[in-house]
Amino acid sequence: MSPTKIPVDLILNKLTEDVGKSQERILKSQDVLLSPLDTSIATTPYEVVYQEDRVKLKYYRPARKGPIKTPLLLVYALINRETMLDLQPGRSVVQNFLNDGVELYMIDWGYPSRKDRYVTIDDHVNGYMDNVIDFILRRHKLPKLNLMGICMGGAFSVMYSALHPEKVKNLITTVTPSNFDTDKGLLHVWMKEVDADLMVDTYGNMPGDFLNLGFLLLNPARLMIDKYVGFFENMDDKVFVENFIRMEKWIFDSPDVPGETFRQFIKDCYQKNLLIQSKLELGGRRVDLKNITMPLLNIYGRFDHLVPPEACELLTSRVGTKDTEDLCLNTGHIGIYVSSKCQREFTPKIFGWLKERDESEPVHAEKATVSRLPRAQKVAAKGRKTPMASS
Amino acid sequence: MNQDSQDKSAMDSLMAAWMKSATDFWTSAPKMWSFSSDASTAGSGDSQGFEAQGSGRWQNAFKIWQSLFSTLSNPEAMEAFFKGAGATPEIFMKISRTGMQGYAAFYQQWLKKAGKLAQPEKAYHFENLDENVFNAWKDLYEKEIQPFLNVPQLGLARSYQERVNETLDRFNLYQVQLAGLLRMLYLPLEKSARVMEEKLEEHSRDGKLSENFKEYYETWVKVLEGHYMTLFKSSEYLEAFSNTLSANENFKLAQHSMLADMLQSLPIPTNKEMDDLYKEIYLLKKTVKEMAKKLAQQETSSRSSRDAAV
Repeated sequence: MSPTKIPVDLILNKLTEDVGKSQERILKSQDVLLSPLDTSIATTPYEVVYQEDRVKLKYYRPARKGPIKTPLLLVYALINRETMLDLQPGRSVVQNFLNDGVELYMIDWGYPSRKDRYVTIDDHVNGYMDNVIDFILRRHKLPKLNLMGICMGGAFSVMYSALHPEKVKNLITTVTPSNFDTDKGLLHVWMKEVDADLMVDTYGNMPGDFLNLGFLLLNPARLMIDKYVGFFENMDDKVFVENFIRMEKWIFDSPDVPGETFRQFIKDCYQKNLLIQSKLELGGRRVDLKNITMPLLNIYGRFDHLVPPEACELLTSRVGTKDTEDLCLNTGHIGIYVSSKCQREFTPKIFGWLKERDESEPVHAEKATVSRLPRAQKVAAKGRKTPMASS
Repeated sequence: MNQDSQDKSAMDSLMAAWMKSATDFWTSAPKMWSFSSDASTAGSGDSQGFEAQGSGRWQNAFKIWQSLFSTLSNPEAMEAFFKGAGATPEIFMKISRTGMQGYAAFYQQWLKKAGKLAQPEKAYHFENLDENVFNAWKDLYEKEIQPFLNVPQLGLARSYQERVNETLDRFNLYQVQLAGLLRMLYLPLEKSARVMEEKLEEHSRDGKLSENFKEYYETWVKVLEGHYMTLFKSSEYLEAFSNTLSANENFKLAQHSMLADMLQSLPIPTNKEMDDLYKEIYLLKKTVKEMAKKLAQQETSSRSSRDAAV
């Protein structure tokens, strides 16, 4: 058997060369790191037009009037912050909507403190969200608005639309988990093993840092090693460093999650998968997905490791409307909102979809309660599926 | 007469002498107390009755002590005392023998399993992991240490002491679980290093070895990522993950109870007290909000019916 011939000399030569380059890079990076850096996030101007407890409603005024008359409300998750939608100039979902003349509102859930530990999903959906939506509708003298939810905020939007369909004109869900009975995403596997009762009884609210540690552990090789190796390799590049720090700022800005909300989300959604079966109950009312009679656009990421396509794609087949569309982008959980490639596809797609529906359906002012809603109110059937849209 | 009986008789006489002097002391002490008391209270008027009462109680106490020591001076009582004292080292020996036996068993298991730990594991396989070292540690702890922490406590401070012991116990159990989990999290590093060795050998055989270190790094990260993904889905990891979380939470709960005891003496409200208050505020707020909403709806509907009438 011949001994393995590894060109150690060549590797060492290359390594020495690399070490030389690294030293040069470190010297250059000192200039970058010690110089003033622009790492601010969420810089688009807004106005807080409504506030209830810790929850604020941000209003972004478009520079010009656009073709969509109905305002759009963005509902972010309780995990991390909505600032991700306005991360940096040139990579801002908010800015893109404003450029299209969309009247934009966004819920800022704030930082829950110990006193918020008893706040439930019902309080978020039928309390804060409903009050915010009533406020916007009064402000614009409209009976309905367009609703867009992100991740857990998407799940809240689905629940809201099923309980208050009379107030939602069009529903857009992005990277929204609705089917939790899948083992494709590690989060789904892990959450089944968690004793949510013990966790909430111990911690009160779920600490943001604790959750973040869990997210890092989903892929330690990439998120705890490779990411920082990448930073080290590019830390002489000012723009790269600024963008990197912006992302770090956003990722580790993690509010705690109210205990009772966390408990119910884990038990009823991740462990019992009640939402997709229309068996979830909020405030004594059943969340029947068949009540979702407004048009639905469902967008998710093919490489999303937190909310895999399997967790998202079932929704359109379970709702009451047939005007549905699934759009699977070739990206991950966050890439949908921040990657430059998706910036060119994501908001233009939503804008076009909303524009089509905003013009087609006349605005009517009468209010209908959930129970009085006729099934026949469904929009003309389309039921499209657009996989690989971004490829 | 053997050496033991000689020692015993020497000990007996020493003890008897000490007992006698102690008895003498307790006999003379009340007299001295009575004398000093008389001297200090002479002519102090109202306080005389109180002092006399106190002196009487002291004398009673001294008498009890005196009789106790006299009883102990009896040869029979002395023998019983020595018997008890002689038994004490035996008890200690018994306890330490049990402890040593447990430790030896653990050490044997450790030696046996430590070798296995060092053996390379198969790449991308995490089933049937040999976690016996951690189990042995847990067994040792549960058999030899935990019972001492679970001994029922007595007296006024028993609940406080129990909570301190419980915190210690939960902390130890958490440490055992955490060590097992951390070991599992280390395994992919070990396995990916082994895979890299194999890959290097393979590339070398095929003459495809790269001179670029970055390529090796990228391959390693990819392999490591794959190992973690496999590990994280294994039932072994899920069990360790779940047990560690529960152990951590149980420890935290015990720690909170212990800290709440400490906070009782300080003017600081405990989490439990605050949570009770927060819950009341939450429920009150919820009721008020619902009522306000209903009122607003009523106002709107009455306004619209007024408008319609006009």
